[in-house]
Amino acid sequence: MTRAGHLPLKLTVILTAIILLLLPACPNGKAPTSSQIDSYTIADSTGDWGYPSPYAHYSRGPGYVLMSFVFETLVWKDATEFVPQLAYQWEYSADDNSYTFRLQENVKWHDGADFTADDVVFTYNYTKEHPYQWVDNSIVESAEVLDKYTVKLYLSRPYAPFFQDVAGAQPIMPEHIWAKVTTPEEFLTPEAVIGTGPYMLADYSQEHGSYLFKANDGYYLGQPAVREIRLVKVAAEMAPAALKAGSVNAASIPAEVAADIEAAGFTVITDPPSWNGKLTINHHKEPLSAKEFRQALAYAIDRQALVQVVFRGNAVAGSPGMLPPTSLWYNPDTPQYQYDPDRARQLIEGLGYSLEDGHFVKDGQPLKLSLIAAADYKDLGQFITQQLEQVGINIDFQTLEGKTVDARVGAWDFDLSIYGHGGIFDPSILQRTTLGEGFNSARYSADAELTRLLQAQLTEMDPAKRKDMVSQIQQLYAEDLPALTLYYPKSYWAHDGSLPLYYTRDGIAVGVPLPLNRMCFVD
Amino acid sequence: MTGKRSLTTYGIAFLFILALNFFLPRMMPGDPLTAIYGDEALVAMTPALKAHLVARFALDQPLWQQFTAYISTLFRGDMGWSYFYNASVLKVILGSLPWTLLVVGTSLVLATLLGIELGIESGWRRGSRTDRALLTGLMSLNGFPDFFLGLVLLIVFGVLLGVAPLSGALTPYSGLSGLALVLDVLKHMALPVAALTAAYLAGGYLLTRNTMITVLKSPFMLTARAKGLSQKTLKYRHAGRNSMLPVLTMTGIWLGRVVTGALFVELVFAYPGVGQLAYQALLARDYPVIQGVFLMVAISVLIVNFAVDLLYPKLDPRVSYAR
Repeated sequence: MTRAGHLPLKLTVILTAIILLLLPACPNGKAPTSSQIDSYTIADSTGDWGYPSPYAHYSRGPGYVLMSFVFETLVWKDATEFVPQLAYQWEYSADDNSYTFRLQENVKWHDGADFTADDVVFTYNYTKEHPYQWVDNSIVESAEVLDKYTVKLYLSRPYAPFFQDVAGAQPIMPEHIWAKVTTPEEFLTPEAVIGTGPYMLADYSQEHGSYLFKANDGYYLGQPAVREIRLVKVAAEMAPAALKAGSVNAASIPAEVAADIEAAGFTVITDPPSWNGKLTINHHKEPLSAKEFRQALAYAIDRQALVQVVFRGNAVAGSPGMLPPTSLWYNPDTPQYQYDPDRARQLIEGLGYSLEDGHFVKDGQPLKLSLIAAADYKDLGQFITQQLEQVGINIDFQTLEGKTVDARVGAWDFDLSIYGHGGIFDPSILQRTTLGEGFNSARYSADAELTRLLQAQLTEMDPAKRKDMVSQIQQLYAEDLPALTLYYPKSYWAHDGSLPLYYTRDGIAVGVPLPLNRMCFVD
Repeated sequence: MTGKRSLTTYGIAFLFILALNFFLPRMMPGDPLTAIYGDEALVAMTPALKAHLVARFALDQPLWQQFTAYISTLFRGDMGWSYFYNASVLKVILGSLPWTLLVVGTSLVLATLLGIELGIESGWRRGSRTDRALLTGLMSLNGFPDFFLGLVLLIVFGVLLGVAPLSGALTPYSGLSGLALVLDVLKHMALPVAALTAAYLAGGYLLTRNTMITVLKSPFMLTARAKGLSQKTLKYRHAGRNSMLPVLTMTGIWLGRVVTGALFVELVFAYPGVGQLAYQALLARDYPVIQGVFLMVAISVLIVNFAVDLLYPKLDPRVSYAR
C-alpha cells in the first residue's frame, strides 16, 4: 500500500519473474460456498497504520480505511454513488445554506449506548477544537439538533464537494466517550475504538503490523458477511506466493504478476486513475516563467512512450488538464500536446534561443536546467532528461532523498522536479494543488481567470454549471501548465473471489483508492 | 587506563552523543509536518491543524529550549512522544527491540563463533584444500547483500518447498500458546537468522584467519612448538586465543549496527524490528523516535566497548602491561 520501503524496482521485477517461473500453478480461487465467511485475511506490505481511532491512525489512506471499519460517516459511497449511512435522508436548503440529515433510529454504539443527533453535533463541535487530520470542517459554521434523530449543519458558504470532503469523510464519534477526552491523539484505550461500524477492533499489534476485526452482530444495516477480518503484514514481493499458498484472501500485487495471478484463478482488479504523476515546474524562474516554454516541455516529452518505457504499460498517459479521461469531470477538448519535438524547438526559438551544436543558447549562455527527484523516480527522470536533451535543452538530473526534494521545491530552489499526489477525483484537487501553499502545490496564481474559476467552482452548487467551470479550468490549466501531468500509475489487487471487492467511486471517503470499502464486507 | 578515568571518558562521549542525537536529525532538510502529512494530498492540512501540531510537537520553541526540555525529560526516564506512531517512544522501541535482539543477536553470536572457529581452522591449514574451499566459499557469500541471501532462502524454502513461513515473526491470530508458540517463532526466525549469519560470517572468518596467519609466524609460536605442546594446545590456546582480539573488537563495533543493520532483512521477511522503525522515523522526520533509537544504539555500543575493554586484558595480559 505504500511506496516507501520497497526493494529496488528492477530487482523486484527480476525476482518476481523467477518466483513465477518456479511456482506451480495451483488454482486457489474457490467459489464462495455460503454467504457467511468465517475469516478473511488481507495482506499488506506495511502492516502498521496506527491504532484505528480517528485521531490515532497514521495520516495515510490505509490508516483511514482501517479506522472506517469501526467508525462511520453520515453518508458513504459504494462503487458508483453516495449511499445512506448514519443518515438515511438529507436535503440541502439554499436559503440558509444548510444540510438537514435524518438519522437512522436503530443504531447503537459498540458499547450498547444509543446513537443520536447529539453525537453528530458533538463530533462537529469537537473537531472545531481538535482538528481531525483528514477532514477540513471549517466549512461547517454550526451544527444543530432538531430532534433526537435530525440534525442540521449550517455551512459558512456554499461548498460543492461537501459530501466528498466532509459529510462522507468525517467519522462520527460517541459523545459519551469523547466529551471528556482533552488530548485525543493520546487517547488509546479500548474505549477510543467504540464506533457504530460493522466491525469492532479485537486486536492491533504495532510491531507485527496486524489487525483483527470482529463482526458487530447488532449492526443496523444487517449482519456483516465476514465474521472476522485480519490484516497481516506480508512483503510486497511475497504477496503473490501468499495468495497462492492460500494464507491470504486478498493482496495488492506487483503489476508484473497480474496476468499470472489471474491465470491461477484469482480475480485481479485495477483502480481507475487516482494518482497524478507530474513534472513540477519553477514558474518563477526564467525561462520557465514563460508559458510558451512550459508548453515546449509538454511537446518535448512523449507521454505515451513514457508509459511504455518507464512503466512497461502499467500506467495511463497523463492529460495536461490533470483530471484523467476516466473522470466524470474530464474535458475531452483539453489541449493534449501530442509529442512534437519540432514544435517544441519552434516555441523555444520564439523566446530568443538559437540552436548551436544541438543545444539551445541565448546571449552566449547555454540553456541548462536542473531536474531533481527522489530516488524512486530515477528511471522516469532519466527518460525525461533524454527527451529534453533531444530537443536541445541541457538537463542536469540529480536524485536526492525525498524530503530534501520537498524542501527545495518548497523554497523554489529548483528548476524542474518530479512529484506525485493522490486524490484526483473531485475537482477541488485542482484548486488545492494549484493555489495551495505547500510544496505539493504549484502555487500558481498568475492567471486571474484560472484563479477565479478555481475558487468559484468550489461554491457552485449546481452540478451542470460546476462541470462547465471545471471544463474551462482544465482548458486554462493545460494552456498555462503550472505543472505537467505525465502519467497515472495503475495499481493491482488480487483476491480469491470469496468477496466481491471493488474500488469506490472517487475513492473511499475523501479519495482513498483501495478496494477495501467496508461495504464489501457487509451483506 | 584507570577505571575512574575511563568512566569519565565514557561519560563525556555519552553527553556528546546526546547532543549529536538531538541536533543532527534536526539539521536534515525537511520538517516533521511536511514529512508526516506532505505526500498525502488527501490530508486537510488547514492552518488550524498546522498550528495545533506545531504547538503539540513544540516546534515553535527555540532549538536550545527544545534541547533542554529533551534532556530534562530524558533524565526523568521519558524518551518523548512519537510524532508519527502517536505513542510513547519507549513503547514503540520496546515493541520492536525484542525481535531485533532475537534475530540479530542470535545471528551475531552464531556468526562470530562460527567465524572464529572456521578462521582458526583455515589459518592453521593455510593453503590446504579446506582453506581454499572455505576462503572461496565465504568470500563469494560475502559478495551477496544480506537481503539477497534472504530472498533466495525465502524463494527456496518459503515459496518452492513451502516449509518456511513467508513473512512475519509469528503467525498472527493463530491462537497458539506455550510450546507451539515457541516453535512458531523459531520457524519464523530460521530464515532471517540464516541470512544474517551468512552475511556476518565472512567478516569474523577473514579477520580470524588473517590474524591466525600472522600469529603463527611469531616467535612465541616457535617457542611453544619447541616446548613440544600438543597440536590442539598450539592451535587453540596459543594461536587461536591471540587471533580472537580483533574479532572481539569488530563484534563490539558491529553491535552498533545490530540494531539498525538488519533493515533489508526485516523488509524482505516483513519481520518486526528496530531497523524498520528507524528507517520509517527518518522518512517521517520523527525526531523523538530517531533520537530514541540512536540513543539506544549509542548506549549499547558504549556498554559493549566497555565490556570489551574489560575483557581484553583477560585475553591478552600484555594489554595491561602496556599501560
